Parts: sequence; C-alpha cells; structure tokens
Amino acid sequence: MTGPPKTRRDNVAVDNSLCRRCQTNAPTVTVRTEPLCSPCFNKYVSTKIIKRMESFRVRHAEAGHERLLLLPLSLRACSIVLLHILSQHLRTQGEKSGRTGYRLHVLYVEDGKGEASVASDLFEMVQHRYPEHTYSTRPLSDALALAGMQELLNPHQATTQDSTANVNSSDLSTLFANLTSTTSRTDLHHLLLRKLLVHSALTHTCSAILWASSTTRLAERTLAETAKGLAFTLPTQTRDGETPLGGVPSYYPMRDLLRKEILSYTSLVSPDLGSLILEEKPRPAVSTRDTSIDELMKQYFSSVEREYPSIVANVVRTTGKLLVERVEEGLEGRGHAPERSRLCFGCIRILQGREAGG
Amino acid sequence: MPPHPCETCHTSRAQILRPSTGTRLCAPCFTLAFETETAATITSSQLFHPGERIAIGASGGKDSTVLASVLQTLNARYAWGLELVLLSIDEGIAGYRDHSLEAVKRNAEVLGLPLKILGYEELYGWSMDEVVAQVVRKGNCTYCGVFRRQALDRGAAALGVRHVVTGHNADDVAETVVMNLLRGDLARLGRGTSLVTGTGGLEGGFASVKRSKPLMWAYEKEIVMYAHHMRLDYFSTECIYSPEAFRGSARTLIKNLERIRPESILDVVRSGIDMARLVPGAGGEGGSRSRRVEAMSRDVEDDTGGGCSGGNGEDAGGEMARVEETLRLNERADEEGTETEIRLPAKATNGQRHDRDVVHTGPAGKVLSPTVNGQNHDRHRHTSNNATVPHRTKQEKKPNCKAASDAAPPRQRLGQCERCGYLSSQAVCKACMLLEGLNKARPRTGIEVGGAGG
Repeated sequence: MTGPPKTRRDNVAVDNSLCRRCQTNAPTVTVRTEPLCSPCFNKYVSTKIIKRMESFRVRHAEAGHERLLLLPLSLRACSIVLLHILSQHLRTQGEKSGRTGYRLHVLYVEDGKGEASVASDLFEMVQHRYPEHTYSTRPLSDALALAGMQELLNPHQATTQDSTANVNSSDLSTLFANLTSTTSRTDLHHLLLRKLLVHSALTHTCSAILWASSTTRLAERTLAETAKGLAFTLPTQTRDGETPLGGVPSYYPMRDLLRKEILSYTSLVSPDLGSLILEEKPRPAVSTRDTSIDELMKQYFSSVEREYPSIVANVVRTTGKLLVERVEEGLEGRGHAPERSRLCFGCIRILQGREAGG
Repeated sequence: MPPHPCETCHTSRAQILRPSTGTRLCAPCFTLAFETETAATITSSQLFHPGERIAIGASGGKDSTVLASVLQTLNARYAWGLELVLLSIDEGIAGYRDHSLEAVKRNAEVLGLPLKILGYEELYGWSMDEVVAQVVRKGNCTYCGVFRRQALDRGAAALGVRHVVTGHNADDVAETVVMNLLRGDLARLGRGTSLVTGTGGLEGGFASVKRSKPLMWAYEKEIVMYAHHMRLDYFSTECIYSPEAFRGSARTLIKNLERIRPESILDVVRSGIDMARLVPGAGGEGGSRSRRVEAMSRDVEDDTGGGCSGGNGEDAGGEMARVEETLRLNERADEEGTETEIRLPAKATNGQRHDRDVVHTGPAGKVLSPTVNGQNHDRHRHTSNNATVPHRTKQEKKPNCKAASDAAPPRQRLGQCERCGYLSSQAVCKACMLLEGLNKARPRTGIEVGGAGG
C-alpha cells in the first residue's frame, strides 16, 4: 500500500498537552478523546451546524426573497446555542456578501407548565440580544383548535355537534390530567407541539422548521419510539427534509453534536449563554414507575454519551439508513389506524397480536 | 396479594399476576394461557408440518426446558404428530456444563423424549479443554463461539433433522434489537427478529437447517413462572465471563423499560420487525419473499449461545470500546477528507506508527459503518486498535464474517465451504479454518492462515 499524501500533523509528534488542532493553546475541553482549546472547540461546534445549512447559503437565495425558517425556541441550552450560532452565521453572510441566505423567525411555545414568567423574561432577553430576527409566542393550547384535532382527541363524539364546547385552554390541563402515564403525557405534548409548529410555519410562510435536537436527543427518540412499537415512524421523524405526510420540511442542524458538547459550548463562548437558558428541573437519578420512556432513554444515553459518544451517533445514523415507508393517500396506509379509530396503530396491533399469540 | 378470584375461571383463588396482561390468574389457568399462546404463535405462522422431526436445542436452562415441556404438551394436545428429540451440546469443559447436562438428562426421562448429547470432540475432533491446552487461553472464546454456532446445525444434521427450535424469548429478541441499534448492525437487525431463519432445505448442507424460536413472544418472567408452577427442573449455566458488553447494556435497558411498561418488551420486538422490513435491500415486503432472503443470508454468527461473551475472544467491556474506537476513527477520517492516514493514539509506547490507507471513494462514498455496504473496508481500520503489536488482531476475522452477514441483499454470492459444505462466502468456512489451524498442531491466536482470503 503506497502512502497517501501525509497531513501536516503526521510529521510532528502530537503534543497532548496542547489543543489537538491548533497545537498552540492549552486545551479546555475534550471532544471525543481530542483535547481542544476554546477557540478550536467553538469552531468545531459552529462548523458542525453550518455544514448542515448548506442549502441555505447566500448563493442559493434570491435577494429580498430569502427563505424564512422557523426556529422553535424551548429556551433550553440546545435551542439557545442554535439561535446563537445561526445569528453568527447570518452576520458572517451579511459581512461577506451584503445579504443573507435565509431569515429566522423565532417562536416560543408556552406549554402552561408553570414556568411562564421566568420563560417570558428570558424570551425578552433573547430578543434584546438578537434583535435581527422576528419573534412570536403561542400557547400550546392553540394546538387544540387546529383542524382535525378535536376528532383526534375525542373520536367517540360525533364530529359536527357542539365542537366549540371542547375548545378551551383549561382543556389542555384536563387533557393531560386524564392521561394515566407520564409517557403518554410526554407523547401527547410532543404531538401537539409538532402540529402547532407546522401550523405556525405555514402561517408565517416559513419554508422549513429548524429543530435544535442534538445527536443525543435523536438517539433518545430512536429508542423511545422503538420501545413504543413505533419504530417504523423513525425515518420520517429524525430525517432531514420532507415527510411523506406533507406539511413543512424539518431540519436538524445540530444532529452531529452531542448534548454534552452543546452544554460545554454555552460556557465557553463569550458572552456566556447561561443567562439566557431556562434551567431543567433536576431529574431523578434512578428510574421509577413514574418515569416516562423518554426520560429513561435520556438517562441511558447520558451515561452512554460519556464513554461511547460515537455509539450514540451511530444509533441515529443507523436508523437514518432505513427506508422511508411510502404512506398511501388518506389514513388507511400501513402504520395508521383507520379513521375515527379510538386507538393508534401501535395499540391496535398489540391487541391483534395478543389474539394471535404475539 | 389479597384474595381475588381467578379472572379466567372465576372459581379458584388467583395466585399469579401476569406480567404481560396484568390479569390475576390461578396457576392452571396461567399455564394453560401460556401454552395456548405458544400454540397460536406456532399455528399462525405454520411453523411445523405434521409429522415433522424437530430437534429442541436443550441447554438445561429455563428457556429450553420450558420449550421442551410445552412442545411435548402441545404435540399431544393438538395431535401434531411431531417427532421431538432433545439435542444438547457439550463444549467439553470439565465442570462447566455438568449440572445443566444432568438437568437435561432428567428432563429427557421425565418427558420421555430421546436425547442426543453431542460434544465438540465428537463434532469437531476437539473439546474445548483440548483447544485451550493447544492455544493456551489465547482466543479460546473465539473457538468456542464459532464451534457453538455450527454445533446445533451439525448435530441436527447428524440426527437427520432439518428443523431446530431454540428457547429464545421476547426479552432476548428485544435485547438483540437494542444491541444491533447500538452497533449499527442493520443486517442483523433484520435477521434477529425473525421467527424462522434458514430454509430447512438441503442446498446448504447443515447450514440451511431451519431454526425457529416458538417462545419469541413469551416474556422471560412468564417463562420463569411457568417453570415454577409446572415444577420443571432446570439449571442455568452462566458463563464465567461477564456478559457481552453490548448485550449487558441492552439487557439493563430492557429490564428498566419493563419496570415502566412491560408491554414495551414486545413493542421493541415489533419495532425490530418493522425496522427489518425497512432495511435497504431486505426485500421490503413481508411473507415468503423476505423469508427466502432470510434463509439465504443466515450467517454462522447470528445465533448467540446463551451466556457466552460472544465468540470474539475479547473481554466484555472491550467490545463497546472497540466499536467506539472504530466509529471515531471513521468520523475523523471523514472530516479530514478523502485520503488520509489514520494515526494511532499517541499512546503507542514503542514508537511504532501503523500507517494504513483509508480508502474512500470521495466525499460521497463515506463508509460510515463497517457493516452496511457489504464492502470490506474494515481490513484497513480495525487493525489500528492494538497500539503495540502489528499483527493481525482477532478483529481481522470480523470483516470476513461481516462480508457474509452483509448478504441481506440476495445478490451476494453465497457459496459453500469446500471442506464441510457449510454456507459461506469464503472458500473455506471459519470453523474449518480454525480446525485446520488446530490440526496443524501449532498455537494460533486468531486466523493467521497465510494467504487465506479471510
């Protein structure tokens, strides 16, 4: 085997006391066994995200008609970092070519979980720090008023009569309270959020939704959906781009970054992003019966992430290779329950399976 | 549990809270339900044909003991006319299998079934004790793993049986699904969730022996309960090595998942089946066509024997670390562009550098996972793990069997081993190669047969 062109690094012994990339500064953080200094690390994080924004480069945009992208801001670390880096990106685009490849509309969804006042303060601070974007807020209960939602949630009621009686924000809390498990609450929350975001994107004429999901988050979703028997939805749920069901395409520009890398970033960038972030409630160390499946996967991957980060990425990559199932017109396609069914496809299948011994 | 009538017969007191359904049952109603559900799995997939000869892979452990008992019961109850025989494999390690083999013998008597115990010595000419004496504890797990995987098939063929059943339960299959996701092994994702693999035909010699898992939908907990209430006699042999790192990690996750939601075990299995359908090249359709693909692509590595660390000859924690290393090097190679050298981590104490080309077909042709695209790029990557000694490590074997196991698309050429007729993509299958090495009476650390294709 003849030697390929050697990279510069190979002619010099690597000094492990210095940043692996620039070999100048002292390392401040270790990324998947490589020690990096803060500037190199910041560059690493930004590059991973910007690489995923290829289709939104300036050259792909028409002046004055740049695509508007929806950025749902949960105010957690990942979404704040995404906003920060994209803001930087847009600034750079502007400096280099006088215009930008896209614009951002930042949306905060209030889910009535009781963090409202803290959240709204943070949201204001965000707007002051990044005034170049447009912002709006929406309550999650708006999702209940979307077309088709009432039928979905109250399928045993006749669709035409008295539907107005059901549309009411206090219904959101009753809805959640009526669910018997944490997993189903998390599930419903995600379902409503997704529908609301698609609706908002269409309302604001956004071309796409930019999710702030990290590799870790995507891996969690992969296993969580697998544990719910819904793995067939995975290719559409985690893949960049259009979904067969139409609506607005979704992109996950942070899909190559681990959550712990994103968290490190928040403190290594200046000014520090920590003051903008809505803190998570402390999680129980051990799973109990009340833990949701998603929470269990979070715990699982935060430990795998520590020692085997590439395996976390591998899980997402693997499911990304699965074929997307073509869904037929209407809801009778495989993977969907018949219309007006009380149960989802997964549950129907469980019951059928039980009869057949499965 | 406060007194509660059985929810099925409403007469006896309920003694059992069924994990799968949450119903409260008396013992007889539970065992009947368990048996009936197993029967449904068998009949709905037409697993057996009347009068068929079936070999039950009996390890003496709870799963195979319950399997044998249930099959015996159902065979009589429904008059399937099956000819059942117990098949047990003895690795030939003094003191290891003794207790469980005794349990198998007792079961054979109680059930009135013929029992055939086959030792590695009989099958291969070498017992594990003899192998270890020869190779002096270097890579002995490799031998055991390879031999075990073929053993059931060879044993069945020796008995003239074309169908082997094993006691794999839902928990096992669920763990395998999670494991394959962690490993990124799409090919095995497909095969691990099949009720049946292999054709049972004669084309591949003993490699096409049909293998099925009738207990695939049974919860491990219920198997234990069944064994308890039927007073079945079993002895589980846990391998002395720690459980395989991936499987151990997956097992913990499945157990935790069970605590939150027991149905999730079956849901993971169903998800696995769905994902298998969506694997590129897997046929995409259910039914007989995908089964044919399964049949052709069944690989010697598929069926992990219970309790073993998995035949790679490395310590448990090592496997996850090894895959992690490989993936990381792949990622780094990707980032650095097309052709580059992989530098070993600077911890190589003897100052040696192992220059290996990484062959990329350009930025578009990234090889992200060794297992997916069927090409043998592993040869260039795996060897960088061992920082100090530049011999071909045991990992070298993986690429070869992976080449065979990537045969999910039926296009891959599957031939037969020249020596024993086993299905293999190489001219000589792994077991034969290992045996060749042993028979030449030279200690082997792995496959170093000069010039061999893999």
